[in-house]
Amino acid sequence: MYKYDYIDQTLVNERVIQFKDQVDRRINGTLPEEEFRPLRLQNGLYHQRHAYMLRVAIPYGLLSSDQLRTLAHIADKYDRGYGHFTTRQNIQFNWIKLEESPAILADLAKVQMHAIQTSGNCIRNITSDAFAGVAADEYVDPRPVCELLRQWSTLHPEFAFLPRKFKFAVCGAKEDRTILLCHDVGISLKKNENGELVADIYAGGGMGRTPILGSLIKENLPWNVLPSYLTALLRVYNRFGRRDNIYKARIKILVKALGPEEFARQVEGEWASIKDGDDNFQQSEWDRVAKHFTKPTYKTAEQISTEDLIQSALENERTAFARWLERNVKAHQVPGYASVIFSLKPHGSVAPGDATTEQMLAIADLADQYSFGELRVTHEQNLVLADVEQAKLLELWHKAKAQNVVLPNIGLLTDIIACPGGDFCSLANAKSLPIAKAIQERFDDLDYLHDLGEISLNISGCINSCGHHHVGNIGVLGVDKDGKEWYQITLGGEQGNHASIGKVIGPSFGAEQIPDVMADIIDTFVKHRTADEPFIETYRRLGVMPFKEAAYLNRSKESTTGAVV
Amino acid sequence: MSENPSIKESSIQVNSVLLYPKGGKPSIIANEWQVWNGIEAEASLAQINQDQKVLAPFQWWLSHGQAQAQDPDSEVTKRIQKKTIGVWFAADEDILKHHEVIEAGKPAWALVAADFPIFRDGRSFSTAALLRERFNWSGEIRAIGDVLIDQLVLGARSGFDSFALRADQNLDMALKQFDLFTVTSQNSWRDRRSQLNERLNGHLSS
Ligand code: HEM
Ligand code: SF4
Repeated sequence: MYKYDYIDQTLVNERVIQFKDQVDRRINGTLPEEEFRPLRLQNGLYHQRHAYMLRVAIPYGLLSSDQLRTLAHIADKYDRGYGHFTTRQNIQFNWIKLEESPAILADLAKVQMHAIQTSGNCIRNITSDAFAGVAADEYVDPRPVCELLRQWSTLHPEFAFLPRKFKFAVCGAKEDRTILLCHDVGISLKKNENGELVADIYAGGGMGRTPILGSLIKENLPWNVLPSYLTALLRVYNRFGRRDNIYKARIKILVKALGPEEFARQVEGEWASIKDGDDNFQQSEWDRVAKHFTKPTYKTAEQISTEDLIQSALENERTAFARWLERNVKAHQVPGYASVIFSLKPHGSVAPGDATTEQMLAIADLADQYSFGELRVTHEQNLVLADVEQAKLLELWHKAKAQNVVLPNIGLLTDIIACPGGDFCSLANAKSLPIAKAIQERFDDLDYLHDLGEISLNISGCINSCGHHHVGNIGVLGVDKDGKEWYQITLGGEQGNHASIGKVIGPSFGAEQIPDVMADIIDTFVKHRTADEPFIETYRRLGVMPFKEAAYLNRSKESTTGAVV
Repeated sequence: MSENPSIKESSIQVNSVLLYPKGGKPSIIANEWQVWNGIEAEASLAQINQDQKVLAPFQWWLSHGQAQAQDPDSEVTKRIQKKTIGVWFAADEDILKHHEVIEAGKPAWALVAADFPIFRDGRSFSTAALLRERFNWSGEIRAIGDVLIDQLVLGARSGFDSFALRADQNLDMALKQFDLFTVTSQNSWRDRRSQLNERLNGHLSS
């Protein structure tokens, strides 16, 4: 886990002072709201439906137990006792008072955290693989690069007022767990034939109103020249990205308008003159940062077979424990170890991604006892203990049960990604959370869910796509027509190495119909699937028609709407 | 902010300028430069008192100034000799496209400026950075237009060393902005990203 040095800590402390001054000026009226707005956004402070919302960065998804305790404390002291983990490795607090925001930032700074650039038209918090450093399929541990880029991008003076937000994702494994192609820039790390660390750069991806997958614009870029290359890339975007229309201001529109080749050429032209400058990373910087990401002191332990693990449980617990091992426990690089995912998606009770103060405190203790005091936050809005001894899994499962985070639904239909939607967000066209709840209640049978296998279901309350609906196998999008809330269904989206954007199946449905529509889609899948075929493959094999027919069969015209946004 | 006093409505003259030389201390000085929008009439430069220092739009320089600079008797040539002419770049100016004009203009201009049509349009930060990096412009670069207190640190690090703040900004507060940050985590025109030894020893020596 990276530890701030004097410079990181000083920067964050000074930022707290700067922001406090800005808040004071806002409160005493010398800074008008319009001018304060971009400043507060660059500190993750939104103004939402009910109150201010503060978004705190969890850079590349890594948290220490003490940091989680501080988040618990903030939830308790300044909010209503919970926080919301998002799809971008951030946590949001929904009930913040403007006057108290500097104090919260000061509390965060004490545990080496901040809210810098979690919003606004700047380089956002950099996201990565939640299983970085432990995943069995990893080529390279992306975290040193992530951390160096976090530093490079933090309060970058030239890029604080870009045409729009700018999101980086970094991946270093065979399987992409970062949705690399849905980012403004995706950095795919690997080793070249000489064993040197290089990056492939994808640009111009993003969801939102115009979902586009990123294009490869540079191959085999040496890791150390990332600052100059990314400076060149951002310069092209800063200077030529559209500013006349916020919907067209994202880099994806620029890359699409120019074509990836021309965009790459322009970046190359700019880069040529700065590539040898002293902006690039030094080996000494790598050494300084990388030493924080060395392996923890693993014990030498024998690999334990799943069968033996199951046998170690009491007979009446075995089925449940086996399911948990299957869904929530992942393979590890080190024999005798495993990574555990805590599900923040209990069926029908809380918003996906929410954790209470009590849960956060208890999970922090579990991280201390079972995983070297560290945790990860996934973009699916769950939490991970990455380094658990297999021999301790049963014990951990028992303890985590008390916190209601062991539901074995990871990767299944009810592991829903959802944005806060109309319940909290002032941009929403429709609610997301009650839809997620209704679906979870409808599909509450774990046996059935397991039989269905991997299906991703993602919900966004509006076209901004915070809930990643475009890349859900099943996507639900809230739309507004004549002041009423409707839900549009997309099918065929996927994240990972075969990333794809889902297609709209037809007119939207009313909220009350969604659970039935889901059931019809799922029944169609079950009817046509061969053996253990996953949903996405059945869909690809059959196309949209059978699903579409099932979804609209017996549904009157009045109950659906042609609204397509 | 619809009454954004940018140079397009050029009557607003900023009286004071914040000067912050690289390696030096920030101070407030009287503003000697008038931002001319060059649109009213093609020949109107002659209407401005010759001793008045004038920042002309780069687009005007392209269409008129450059040619006039070749003529030993022209208004522009006189101003060049008196060091009373400079240019300002609009936010959407693609300065790299005019590499030769800018290289040729360097000895002629006593000052260059880049405009912020609205404070949240960050293009001119890149313009300043390019002027420093690509054109090796070593003279003053001034931020003009909708320049607010909270942009000063960014501007100073991107390449600006003088700021004609919007008329309503508090200059005392502006002066204090540069004390806010004592460290940096990326290279900029003013600072080097702190390297290994500094990072390790920084806390010892401070
Ligand atoms: C409640 C306050 C929120 C507001 C006002 C908000 C606003 C927005 C807006 C305007 C966009 C569209 C950007 C564009 O296409 O240019 C967006 C995209 C996004 N937001 Fe949010 N958001 C909020 C909460 C969240 C939450 C809770 C999450 C995670 C659960 C999230 C994750 C994302 C993601 C992943 C995108 C897609 C980015 C892309 O285009 O690739 N946001 N958000
Ligand atoms: S998708 Fe829309 S409703 Fe949901 S959080 Fe984003 S902006 Fe709000």
